Amino acid sequence: MQWRPIHRWLGMLAGALALVIGVTGLILAFFPVRDTWRAVPAEPGLPVAVLAQRATERIAGIEEIRRLPSGEIVVYSFDGGQARASRIDPANGQVLGDYQASAVERWVRNLHRSFMLDDPGRLVAAGVALAMLLLTFSGILMLARRLGGWRHLASGRIRGTPAQRIHGISGRILALVLALSSLTALYMSATTFSLIQADSATDPDVMSVPGDQPDRTVGSLPLLRALSTDGLRKLSFPAADDPEDVWHVVTDAGDGWIDRRSGHVLSWQPASTARAFYDWVYALHTGQGLWAWALVLGLAGLCLPVFWVSGFLIWRQGRARVPRLADNSPARRADTLIFVASEGGTTWGFAKALHDALARNGHRVHTAPLEQFQVTESVRQVFILAATYGDGQAPAHAARALDRIVGQKAGGVPVSVLGFGDRQFPAFCGYAEALDRALRTAGWPLTMPLECIHQQSVQQFARWGAALSEALGETLTLEYVPRVPETFTLELAERQDYAGGPAGPAAILRLRWRDSGLLARLLGRGMPRFRAGDLVGIVPPGSPVPRYYSLASGFRDGFLEICVRRMPDGVCSGFLHGLKPGDRIQAFIKPNPGFTLETSRRPVVLIGAGTGVAPLAGFIRGNVRKAPMFLYFGARNPDEDFYFGAVIRRWLEEGRLTALRTAFSRIKDGGGYVQDALRRDADRLRTLVSKGAVLRICGSRPMATGVAEALNEILGPLGLDVRRLRERGRYAEDIF
Amino acid sequence: MKTVSIAALLAATTLAIPALAQSRTVTLSTTLKNYGGDGAYLAVYLTDAKGAYAGTLWVAGGKAKYYKHLSEWNRLSSGDAARLDGVTGASVGEGRTLKVTADLADALFDAGYEIHVDAAVEDMRDSPSEIRVPLTLAGAGKPVGGKRFIHSFTYQAQ
Repeated sequence: MQWRPIHRWLGMLAGALALVIGVTGLILAFFPVRDTWRAVPAEPGLPVAVLAQRATERIAGIEEIRRLPSGEIVVYSFDGGQARASRIDPANGQVLGDYQASAVERWVRNLHRSFMLDDPGRLVAAGVALAMLLLTFSGILMLARRLGGWRHLASGRIRGTPAQRIHGISGRILALVLALSSLTALYMSATTFSLIQADSATDPDVMSVPGDQPDRTVGSLPLLRALSTDGLRKLSFPAADDPEDVWHVVTDAGDGWIDRRSGHVLSWQPASTARAFYDWVYALHTGQGLWAWALVLGLAGLCLPVFWVSGFLIWRQGRARVPRLADNSPARRADTLIFVASEGGTTWGFAKALHDALARNGHRVHTAPLEQFQVTESVRQVFILAATYGDGQAPAHAARALDRIVGQKAGGVPVSVLGFGDRQFPAFCGYAEALDRALRTAGWPLTMPLECIHQQSVQQFARWGAALSEALGETLTLEYVPRVPETFTLELAERQDYAGGPAGPAAILRLRWRDSGLLARLLGRGMPRFRAGDLVGIVPPGSPVPRYYSLASGFRDGFLEICVRRMPDGVCSGFLHGLKPGDRIQAFIKPNPGFTLETSRRPVVLIGAGTGVAPLAGFIRGNVRKAPMFLYFGARNPDEDFYFGAVIRRWLEEGRLTALRTAFSRIKDGGGYVQDALRRDADRLRTLVSKGAVLRICGSRPMATGVAEALNEILGPLGLDVRRLRERGRYAEDIF
Repeated sequence: MKTVSIAALLAATTLAIPALAQSRTVTLSTTLKNYGGDGAYLAVYLTDAKGAYAGTLWVAGGKAKYYKHLSEWNRLSSGDAARLDGVTGASVGEGRTLKVTADLADALFDAGYEIHVDAAVEDMRDSPSEIRVPLTLAGAGKPVGGKRFIHSFTYQAQ
């Protein structure tokens, strides 16, 4: 089932109306809270007869006494040609003031349930409720998929852009409330339009037996003495001018009719199940008499605009990333096919680069979504560019593509798979791997072995392109130009240079931004907030491709700090190393939400080597609350590449860092590599992890592999490993 | 203006009227107060000299789930399967006037019959028999006031 487009369109169309229902619902939720706060309720167990007696002693011409869901007692009377409704104190019958149903509440409620349009409006509102139910249902399905299965639904960490996170987190919290609100709304609509009978009972034909006896006083009526005010809804007094009229009492348990002279119960009708059910539905939908629940309902109402806006942003972000293909050959005549499976649309950008490069070489290229996989006669080459979604699954649009591919007879045309993913996720490129496996099992040949591109790395994609040119025997230039977000200007404040050993010199660069002013910030044009562990994208002069560096500082530190190694022939690192204080660069922030640290009291284990210590240093710098933090740092030589060495020692003294373990690989008795330092500290690491420690690893790929191996050994006795920690969001890597 | 023929209506009751020739067209006007609430549900009906239900002239308000709030009419008319046939309309907003006509047999006038109006408004007190006036030729055209929702009620016979 293709839930995504349903969710999207239903959300956008019905969502606009749901905004009205949400905001009005939020306002309406306020009334039960206010009513309960204002009510003077009867003491528990107060007999209805006593309450009515107290009221008659104070108020003349009573026609009806009502107990509102809030517990408030209202007396309706008609005396001296004047109809009154009074709030009374049930303890003594004293009038507290006039009762007036709120006109604002009535107005807002009519907007809420019918858009002020009576029956047509009610039908629209019911339609919105149905849409909300479908949205909740499809949303939960999509969230479960995104988190990698139902078992992760309640606890899995929701990753992604802020809009995606807000949408997912609020959805997870409020899905049940929204579903309940929609269901109860539909039930109430169904009773309004007589599709369901809420209460079919008709009143019995009863009357007071005529006679000369005077009326019984209300205080002496046996049924009313037996009934408690707790369950009272209303008590209608017999009309003064109708000798046959009767007492009529309505309670949660049922209705009773009483003879005005004898006091005998003429009839008792227990409340029907249908009525009791309707009453529950009504209370659950309105929160009347349940003030705490009303607050929850109000929160759900508030969330509807949040859902709508964040959902709209998610859609816009996804759409903006799908490029237009100018010269897409028809599939029938194409010699090269490119199939794309993309969740957010980024993979389409890579597909376009490949498409353009092949088309420039005279190929007739047809690019299509993966679910259209079909190899025609004329085709000589097939490429599949596939992103992975959640726990190794297909992007939504390609959900059935794998079945389709497996279902087709394998041909002799080579089909190569290029995967896209993020190593932060447990199933990095899991879907591309599944595709590749399925193709090979089916017997399709290949031109290029499976390759997985990490975090949309332009460099890795270019390397793949170079290998492809060689395999195809033609010159192919892949020009993937990532969309560079709006940049801001940074100015170099100071730099600290390190010799860095044989790998080349490195420098810690501290950059500052100019305060953009309040207005720019309100318009969203100011310096974006960033956190240690996020990435800064820097576009060097003469290259359209940004390079990313991990941030060693947060926005609150007031500066932006990175640690850059000078790469041989590095365009960007060379440019940065040439900067002098006062020089300016253009940059933008790329959030790295899987890696940045959430504030908590959990212990944190930081493991890094070389310049990889930068984001870890940023975490320690930001640890003003002094949560336990442990740093394992591997370098070559303390004199050459112990980056942030001095300031790390200061943080240790200040308590921002609890302990430091170093390993220097190029000096005698230096302690080897960082994974050796981990092994030496195995006991402590086990203790920390069993206490719920969070781990962050930053450095080169070989280092990360070595660290994961060492940790798997160390954590084995606990029955834990890196994969499981990663699934729980406790283990994240930043690898370069 | 809504019109209803009471002859057809009364055929179901004990008081069968033989021909329309002996009937009058009666215009019933119910003007509501500004009571500060949503549209009112109204039931206009007749009872005979013994106080028994004799027929429904008009029901304003279309949602059956609220009819229990027109309690007296709902109770008295519960045996009349055709009580709503051709005599329902929209609820009446505050301050507005409901005008309906009915063809009533001459024999119903000055014979102990009474016109009742039950009124009910959401979240307000139910008002059964808020209007209760004898059906007489002399009483025609004389406005009667209600207690809670009805400002005045008149009927004109032709």
